Amino acid sequence: MVRWISDEVGEEAALLEVLGLASVDELFRDVPRKARLGRMGVGPSREEPEVVAEVDKLLERNRPLGRFANFLGGRIACRYSPAAVDAIVSRSEFYTAYTPYQAEASQGMLRTLFEFQSLWVELTGLDVANASLYDGASAAGEALLFCRRLHEGRRFLVPASLPWEERSVLANYASGPGLVVEEIPYDARTGRLDLDFVRQAVSAHDVFGLLADVPNGFGALDEHLFELKSTLGDVPLAVAADPLSLSVLEPPGAYGADVVVGEGQGFGIPPSFGGPLLGLFACRREHARQAPGRIVGATVDAYGRPAYTLTLQTREQHIRRSKATSNICTNESLMALAFVVYASVVGPKGLASLQSSLAEKARTLASALGSVEGIRSPRFEAPYLGEFTIELTRGTAAGFLDRLRRRKVLGGHPLADPRPGTPAGPERVLVAPAESVGEKEIARYAAAAKAWAAAPGGR
Amino acid sequence: MTYRQARWDEPPIWDLAHAHAPEPAPAIPGVPERFRRREALRWPELSEPTVVRHYTRLSQMNYGIDSGVYPLGSCTMKYNPKVSELLARRPGAAQVHPYQPEATVQGSLEITWRLEKLLAKITGFHEVSLQPAAGAQGEYTSLLMVRAHYRDLGEIDRRTEVLLPDTAHGTNPASAAMAGFVTREIPSKNGCVDLAALRTALSDRTACFMLTNPNTAGLFEGEILEIAEAVHAAGAMLYYDGANLNAILGVTNPGRMGFDIAHLNLHKTFATPHGGGGPGAGVLGAGETLAPYLPVPRVAKVGRKFRLDYDRPKSIGKIKTAYGNFGLDLRAYAYILAHGEEGLRHVARRAVLNSNYLAARLGRRLPRPFRPLVKHEFVLSGTPLKERGVRTLDLAKRLLDEGVHAPTVYFPTLVEEALMIEVPETESKRELDEFAAAVERALDDSPEHLKAAPTSCSVGRIDEVRAAREPVLSWKDLRAASAKVETP
Repeated sequence: MVRWISDEVGEEAALLEVLGLASVDELFRDVPRKARLGRMGVGPSREEPEVVAEVDKLLERNRPLGRFANFLGGRIACRYSPAAVDAIVSRSEFYTAYTPYQAEASQGMLRTLFEFQSLWVELTGLDVANASLYDGASAAGEALLFCRRLHEGRRFLVPASLPWEERSVLANYASGPGLVVEEIPYDARTGRLDLDFVRQAVSAHDVFGLLADVPNGFGALDEHLFELKSTLGDVPLAVAADPLSLSVLEPPGAYGADVVVGEGQGFGIPPSFGGPLLGLFACRREHARQAPGRIVGATVDAYGRPAYTLTLQTREQHIRRSKATSNICTNESLMALAFVVYASVVGPKGLASLQSSLAEKARTLASALGSVEGIRSPRFEAPYLGEFTIELTRGTAAGFLDRLRRRKVLGGHPLADPRPGTPAGPERVLVAPAESVGEKEIARYAAAAKAWAAAPGGR
Repeated sequence: MTYRQARWDEPPIWDLAHAHAPEPAPAIPGVPERFRRREALRWPELSEPTVVRHYTRLSQMNYGIDSGVYPLGSCTMKYNPKVSELLARRPGAAQVHPYQPEATVQGSLEITWRLEKLLAKITGFHEVSLQPAAGAQGEYTSLLMVRAHYRDLGEIDRRTEVLLPDTAHGTNPASAAMAGFVTREIPSKNGCVDLAALRTALSDRTACFMLTNPNTAGLFEGEILEIAEAVHAAGAMLYYDGANLNAILGVTNPGRMGFDIAHLNLHKTFATPHGGGGPGAGVLGAGETLAPYLPVPRVAKVGRKFRLDYDRPKSIGKIKTAYGNFGLDLRAYAYILAHGEEGLRHVARRAVLNSNYLAARLGRRLPRPFRPLVKHEFVLSGTPLKERGVRTLDLAKRLLDEGVHAPTVYFPTLVEEALMIEVPETESKRELDEFAAAVERALDDSPEHLKAAPTSCSVGRIDEVRAAREPVLSWKDLRAASAKVETP
């Protein structure tokens, strides 16, 4: 029997004896006969080495990122995580703990979360961060609901360039209270938001918020960002920002953001086929009591010494139930730990220099691809950091990426919504050089693209 | 037990570095000056050993399952197998991007597919999706699916209510409200759903009844088949909150009990670590009516290959980026493989045995408000403490001094001064006896000691009122507070 279950010899009999029972079956006598199961069909138990062998056999069918020249990004980044990060995350005092409801026994995690909140506050230029949400997309969903608590209205504006997954998540978060997510058109040359559209929408008085992303879904920086708050007036501005970009870019608090969300996976968390991720959330002080999720605060103990605890809990589901600001309970605390350890090991200078180096790789590749027949690169005339969009003037994104893959290049990912019935847009690919990319990989990408251009074919 | 948690006078990380010298962030070629951060990120520049020592010290001021018993009711704090940690860190698991071409991620897709099939067998559902990031997100996703279903039937304008028992987890009403429903609580009778009250409340306005079984009082809802029949007769859906699934693995399951949809917490029943509050994984199981509404993509098997299927016209779309929390799915898969059919059944049987044993022992000292036969957890009332001028909270804090974690307290709310205790199958009889002895010692201790507790943790009793009244929520707040002190 599995050795994780306590099964010392004679234990079960001793427990039953105290209860005056002959068999464990008697403890299930209140389960109606008609609801009982026969066999589930789960299969036999396995010893630990067999489990390892079986899982390893399946994992061998994956080809991990290290085998490719890797240009996959989007909200999930491929960066090196110093070994110190996993060493800390692997400390079982952290990873086997529950939510720090008993604060006195949980100061380690509480202090870590306080440091994590402080870091997101510094990165965003806002005042109050929570102790994490699930991922960047659901954090954007929470930002939508947060904006609605601050302002009347029915419409929430988002860039049409926002990744389709996030638009879909936002549509879901809007659907409960009957709100509408509306797409702001962008300039075909620069990818910039149409400010006139925003102005007109706001003047109709039913807009309760706007979300802009930095960099945007095309990887570009939009200069209209700085005009948004003055265009919106008292309508809340939400910004979804890549944390690494904030090591070099003005913090959104400086240009009027009321709430800043983001995906924190790039800081010390492996891509792991898409999860666990890390949702980031910060807002202004005056709106702290409208924020979703747990928040750690500093206070003192009975002896007047510094101490930390979960606070402002009257916002939360376990106290307020249906009146809570959000339903979130379990968050991503351990990932928040990875985030703050990563940033502390790499340091502010290291973060900025990583962002500079990724931007240089992106620039080099974008210009190399610009000379390839059949590729517009970069597609938009805009400033970029570590990722950019290309557009194919012939063939399909899928066919292009498939050709690259055969040359061991993961060339990026298509921006189109893959769901049948959604309008087929231009064949665009978001290209994001991973931290592991060097000159050789960039050259391999360019060569593979040229080979494709010579004979596009494929799907 | 003599116990002392580490007590480091460790300063916050920003106090470990020299003073911050404001300078602009580096310029990025091609990026206009107005984007550039005028003052570089304020965060300390530290050596790696300094950072590692800092967080190691913090970890020593934290209590985990590997430290000792963690009897939180409804949280299923069981041992997290080490082999799962090993496997989740394999490059083939961790260094895989969700947007890689399908041909290069056949392993991840197959594990997802296999885990979904196994969980479908365990829960008795038609289909399972691993997408939601945690239990509450699973609840929320389910209710969005229920909403979509009644929209398709043309009944959504009428079916605006979600019913739930007064013992429900707080996430249930919160999820229902977020999904746009009005919630109505059904009063319990002897700790279980009052079937007559439920029948009265059900109507053609009901969209869903949300239920946990065994419930948060640790009681099995023995009238579950009648409840399912009544809910379905009203044309409504029955939702299963899987937080307490550990008690019934292999004995019964939500599909068999008549539920239409459920979320499971992989971080409870299937032993993925709680991580100090997360990450979790809130997988969904759905019967035939609601399965078409599950989030996209679904993993499909075509011949011997696995692919992502987006062609699900009724799907509600996406609820998070990419797919599930694969790192946790993999751990749960390893857990199920190791246990197999018999092992899983053994999990439930031992968990329920542990819980009844401890309930019987502690029931000699504190009142048990409900019937004696419980499942995975049980509830005690700390009301007798009040005669001595102390409360359940004091007992909980005093337990921390015994080197054990405290139970869940003040929940379920229908029990005065409640203690909710769950001791999963991974706890030995010796641990149970030691925990019981710790509770007995705490109960026999003087009111002064109880009120002064804890004294063995890294800090003493925390002033939570001050934390909420004068919120200090970040380093920025600390700086503002010290500036105020310096310039009165």
